[in-house]
Amino acid sequence: MSTALIDNTYKDPAVRPTLVLGGQDFTSITEKVCGIVEAPKPPRIWYICLAVAAGLTGVLFAMVGYLIVTGVGVWGLNIPVGWAFDITNFVFWVGIGHAGTLISAILFLFRQKWRTSINRSAEAMTIFAVVCAGLFPAIHVGRVWLLYWVFPVPNQMSLWPNFRSPLLWDVFAVSTYMTVSLMFWFMGMIPDIATLRDRATTRVRRIVYGLLSLGWRGSNRQWHRYERAYLMLAALATPLVLSVHSVVSFDFAVSQVPGWHTTIFPPYFVAGAIFSGMAMVVTLLVPARQLFGLKEFITLHHLNNMNKLVLATGSMVGFAYGIEFFISWYSGNPFERFAFMNRALGPYWWAYWIMVICNVFVPQVFWSKKARTNLWIMTIVCILVNVGMWFERFVIIVTSLSRDYLPSSWGYFKPTWVDILTMAGSFGLFLTLFLLFLRYLPMIAMAEIKSVMPQAGLEHGAHAGHGQYWGEIPHQHEHQFDELNGVKR
Amino acid sequence: MSPKSTGQSAKLYWRSLDELADTPEFRAFVEKEFPAHAEEMLSGASRRSFLKIMGASIALGGMTACRWPQEKIFPFAYRDPGRVPGVPEQYATAMELSGVARGLLVTSYDGRPIKIEGNPRHPESLGAADALSQASILELYDPDRSKMVRVREDGEVLNRTWDDFEAFATGHFGGVKGSGGAGLYVLAEASSSPTLQDLRARLSVAFPQMIWLEYEPLSRDNERAGASQIFGKPLRSHLHLDKAAVTVSLEADILMTHPAAVKHARGFAQGRRADDGTMNRLYVVESAMSVTGSMADLRFALASADVPLVAAQIAAELFASATESSLPTAEIRTAIEKHASSGPKHAFVASMAADLERHRGRGLVVAGDRQPPHVHAIVHFINALLGNTGTTITYTAGTDPVRPSHLDDARTLARDLKEDKVGTLLILGGNPAYTLPADVSFANLLAKVPTSIHLSLYDDETSGLCRWHLPRAHYLESWGDARAYDGTITLTQPLIEPLYGGRTEIELLASILGEPVTKGYDLVRRTFAQAGDADFEKRWRRALHDGFVADSGFPVDPAAPDAAATLAALAGAALAPRPSAGSLELVFTQDHSVYDGRFANNGWLQELPDPITKLTWDNALLIAQPTAQAAGIAHGDIVQIQSKGATIEAPAYVMPGQAKDSVAIALGYGRARAGRVGSGPGFNASALRTTGAMDVASGVRLVKTGRVYKLATTQDHHAIDAVGYKERGIRIQSLVRQATLAEYKETPGFVEERAETPPVFSLWKEHEYEGQKWAMAIDLSVCTGCSACVVACQAENNIPVVGKDLVARGREMHWIRVDRYFSGEPEAPDVSFQPVACQQCENAPCEQVCPVGATQHSHEGLNDMVYNRCIGTRYCSNNCPYKVRRFNWFNNHKDTSPIEKMVYNPEVTVRSRGVMEKCTFCIQRISAVRIAAKNERRPIHDGEITPACAQTCPTQAIVFGDLNDPNSRVRKLHEHKRSYAMLGELNVKPRTKYLAKLRNPAENHRENDG
Repeated sequence: MSTALIDNTYKDPAVRPTLVLGGQDFTSITEKVCGIVEAPKPPRIWYICLAVAAGLTGVLFAMVGYLIVTGVGVWGLNIPVGWAFDITNFVFWVGIGHAGTLISAILFLFRQKWRTSINRSAEAMTIFAVVCAGLFPAIHVGRVWLLYWVFPVPNQMSLWPNFRSPLLWDVFAVSTYMTVSLMFWFMGMIPDIATLRDRATTRVRRIVYGLLSLGWRGSNRQWHRYERAYLMLAALATPLVLSVHSVVSFDFAVSQVPGWHTTIFPPYFVAGAIFSGMAMVVTLLVPARQLFGLKEFITLHHLNNMNKLVLATGSMVGFAYGIEFFISWYSGNPFERFAFMNRALGPYWWAYWIMVICNVFVPQVFWSKKARTNLWIMTIVCILVNVGMWFERFVIIVTSLSRDYLPSSWGYFKPTWVDILTMAGSFGLFLTLFLLFLRYLPMIAMAEIKSVMPQAGLEHGAHAGHGQYWGEIPHQHEHQFDELNGVKR
Repeated sequence: MSPKSTGQSAKLYWRSLDELADTPEFRAFVEKEFPAHAEEMLSGASRRSFLKIMGASIALGGMTACRWPQEKIFPFAYRDPGRVPGVPEQYATAMELSGVARGLLVTSYDGRPIKIEGNPRHPESLGAADALSQASILELYDPDRSKMVRVREDGEVLNRTWDDFEAFATGHFGGVKGSGGAGLYVLAEASSSPTLQDLRARLSVAFPQMIWLEYEPLSRDNERAGASQIFGKPLRSHLHLDKAAVTVSLEADILMTHPAAVKHARGFAQGRRADDGTMNRLYVVESAMSVTGSMADLRFALASADVPLVAAQIAAELFASATESSLPTAEIRTAIEKHASSGPKHAFVASMAADLERHRGRGLVVAGDRQPPHVHAIVHFINALLGNTGTTITYTAGTDPVRPSHLDDARTLARDLKEDKVGTLLILGGNPAYTLPADVSFANLLAKVPTSIHLSLYDDETSGLCRWHLPRAHYLESWGDARAYDGTITLTQPLIEPLYGGRTEIELLASILGEPVTKGYDLVRRTFAQAGDADFEKRWRRALHDGFVADSGFPVDPAAPDAAATLAALAGAALAPRPSAGSLELVFTQDHSVYDGRFANNGWLQELPDPITKLTWDNALLIAQPTAQAAGIAHGDIVQIQSKGATIEAPAYVMPGQAKDSVAIALGYGRARAGRVGSGPGFNASALRTTGAMDVASGVRLVKTGRVYKLATTQDHHAIDAVGYKERGIRIQSLVRQATLAEYKETPGFVEERAETPPVFSLWKEHEYEGQKWAMAIDLSVCTGCSACVVACQAENNIPVVGKDLVARGREMHWIRVDRYFSGEPEAPDVSFQPVACQQCENAPCEQVCPVGATQHSHEGLNDMVYNRCIGTRYCSNNCPYKVRRFNWFNNHKDTSPIEKMVYNPEVTVRSRGVMEKCTFCIQRISAVRIAAKNERRPIHDGEITPACAQTCPTQAIVFGDLNDPNSRVRKLHEHKRSYAMLGELNVKPRTKYLAKLRNPAENHRENDG
């Protein structure tokens, strides 16, 4: 472990970079990852973080309680701005929730082996983000106690929800996404949980991990079924990555509010979601890998790749911003044109420019490899991207609503302290769940990461049900032949 | 004010009503102590919790019941023939305001009045009622109204009963009678009640030395004095705007604050629709923008003090073109010309005069209440000169032709109080401690009066200073009579027994007099019988049914100007312009909501946006942009207004169209003891009023305090940025389409040119509406922005009041709003009003997006809101292009007391928290007529259904009906050349169409208005 980590971020198209450094073998990986969960005490900083996060969660529950007891009026909403922080937070968190499934499903299908070090925590982040996201549409309604009416629950009056409403589509899209993501995450964890169960030294652990591992024995048959199921779930989750945020964007695109009524929204929202999700993964993993000593698993190569994705999606988002302006002018629709002029130059100009600077300009530093591989720079950039993406949703929702058709009804939204504390509280909830995850579940997919190590020997191809999981990856151990080929590192 | 111990025991009682209800101590306590201190005890409550406190009135209503008068209006022991429980009935009655009766029709559910409308048969109402009359129903149920006879003895306030007072009165007035009534002063509000006049006559027989004074803070005595000057008698002028082709208003707000405004508006509207290609023209010269000014075709902002000059200049201009025979004497001409030349010549005068000249006999010049008497004299003179008298303006006698002016009475009172001549002061209504000019210092003088008695609806500023306070009955609880503006005797009949044990002034006077009858009913009948006994019962029943006595108006007086009197008046008048051009004048205006302050505790009115400023819950100092800029004052800055040694503070409101050297502030705000709603809002401008400057104070100084005030407006909540300002200017043209009459004649289809509408079509076959297809048409040409529709809707549809704070946060609940837009130059803006309620789109964007289908389309094409089903996502409101939906951010009805709930319309759901609501086209009214028609197996007639807003609209700008009926008015209006759908380009197919606004400026006005 003490060996200096080699730089695996070099660019040689002929050579695959090493994904696990530090001369790890199967045993050391298991020891390392399980060690985090099994350690008698987590690092001190974990307690501090958890205290802060749990405190904020408490604030969230207090705010939600106050809201439900008093009324939606405790927020700064008004007519015309019927949605503001509530739906902004919702879209923001759903967006964050995109990275996990993208990494686990799409990158899996694209055979991006580097995903194995980060997919577990990214998926966990997805689940927690969707939990936060789901909270907001639930509490933003005027009569929370009747929320179940949005579900097609058979009832004595044969009343159905309105299937023409994008909000209803949201209900289905988000709940489907949540379900599939949760299944995917949990299923992927079963072999690792079984490892924890097998190593358990206390009764509680044995029981809890025993229950969670669903009787995993690691038999060939189980592995075979497991790998098939994993593949199918990945295939199932992949369209969801695209559909969820498309549907969320329909909330806006299907309406006729100038600034919302735009066909570019689905791809633009998906790009933005991946953008913010990736940024959030980096934001969380950089401290996590420092904290738990996982530099050999989550290497600079991984972070470099993530930052490239941030740059790519960020540029897409920037392009979308430009196209929005172009179309609003090109359409000749005066309301549309004003909506965008108003965004950039109206009363919310500050929010707009925070958004543009954070989302378009700041990620451009990732053109430089130095920036992509510097922990401080990438953390700051990714936090700014998260800020920018929150503001993107705020700008879309609030500036459009505050000035729609009739100037007599134009208004201005100002958040109340409840708005702000509820938003802060949602971050608390997210971090609390994430911190608990880091401590109590294997944060690195042990079984999967082992398969991308030379020791897996998968260069021999699949045989007898083994190795199907990754398909053929014969070039996995090219560097073993480096010396033969005269490649210097 | 209240002794602490009583206050606390009152609190104890209030909290433990149930335990205490049956104990004898409790009964004694209630008899003696309780209600008097409820208000003081609770006055520390915050604005938002005042509703909660109203719970106290449950107790009040119940406990005072044992003292309710025994007379029964509606014994429910057996059912009246023809009366169906739950079916509303309507009764005609009248509200008297400053001596003028407004004929009303009140809807009552099972003996519970809930809605006030104009009496359609009444000659002065024609079915319309202004906002004040309509909102007075809320006053009836106001739990802050006074409930107890009270006496102040040695600094303590003690509760008494009417019996106690009567015992006191018998002794006291017996003594006064012994001295011939010396020292007895009665200070009354203006009243035209024949019964009151009869009692007053009886009173002066019983108390020969009694002095009867009359005071109104918003007096129309200038007009009266002007008529006296020129005609030798205080004639009342009646304007016939339906006959006037050209009207010149010199600061006269004839369409809004005039007592006959409702009738004026109807007449004015007749000449604005231009269906025959002609249109009347309205010129207004005024300082502060009035509703009339906002309707002007040509408006000239001029300081109030400069307006007299305009009157003289118009007259002088007319001499040049007058025929020999119609010319006045040379002396008068010289006098007027002298006045006309005493100041700079106003360029617009010539075109105005020429226009009047062109429309001889069809023109009208009218001067406002603020203008001094001689301006009225000149105006009468001009009308006579142009032969307008008898057609566009007629004259009748007024009530009480011999009384001194209100101002003289105020001075008399002040003098006699100072000289300690007043032994007994009986104050009948009014709130002189608040409304009398500051230099009377009435509050200090009143303390010296040995016996002061105040009869009043509220325990107000004056009550707090008087020895006796007597609760007054609300007019909806009273028998009475009064004359309408045209003199028509109008009866007031009670709709409910006095809720709080109040009595009317006629009952009080009768009891002081020791009359054999003291009940209001008997008193009014006694007066009524004076007209002759023939057919008395029949006449009485007829009058009660109609609400008025037909043809009882004042006879028209030929009113010939008296040359000598005119000359004397002109000679005596000081028409010199203001001392220095830079001097600033302060104009006191009549507020559109609180009147003289008497409606301050009325939540509906406080929250009713001012038609011009859109300000709620406050008054403000209206100031022109250049004046504000010069003084470094910004919108919302708190400014110190210094006038003749007195100082008040008020926030500045930078007002387009305000005259440069003039600032204005509305009276009636800043009340100290108005009640939980009314104590607090606004700034008391009467502190600057003096007997020498009742209407306009000159030489005012403004000093910036550096503090800023939050003004709650329903429009333009925030100062607008450049981007928004520009866009607003562009959009108004297509939203409120308008043209001049000339443009309209040239291009009758101009509405199509005002907005670029892409071809709109549907992808599928649209729904066919068989049967009824409800729709609305709103004629912007005649909408004066008076906002009576807003109050009508609020009363009809149980719309809650949310308070200043929530209005400022954009959460007002009005289902119909009147959008007010300025266009053109800020110094001389054009004003457009646009009432906007739910447009009932056929292709409703709100319906599409509701996840639970809580807003649905009816088979008649209405966009129905299903409150039960609504979960409150607010998506519908976001998607509504007209932003007419309103959300219940909190439970707005949670703490409403039973007595307050009595005002609710039982036909309309009271919406709970978290539910969206909006205009329904008054679906309850549609249903009522539909059911009736079905039962009678007949079709629904056009005009049979009128939503509350349309019903009360004085100009009939709002028309409702069935589009499938080819002969319906609404169908014709929808097919009218001027009709357009606002935002029709969105293809939402609104069922409300607007008729474009027409203006009729003189063709050459641009050159002439210099």
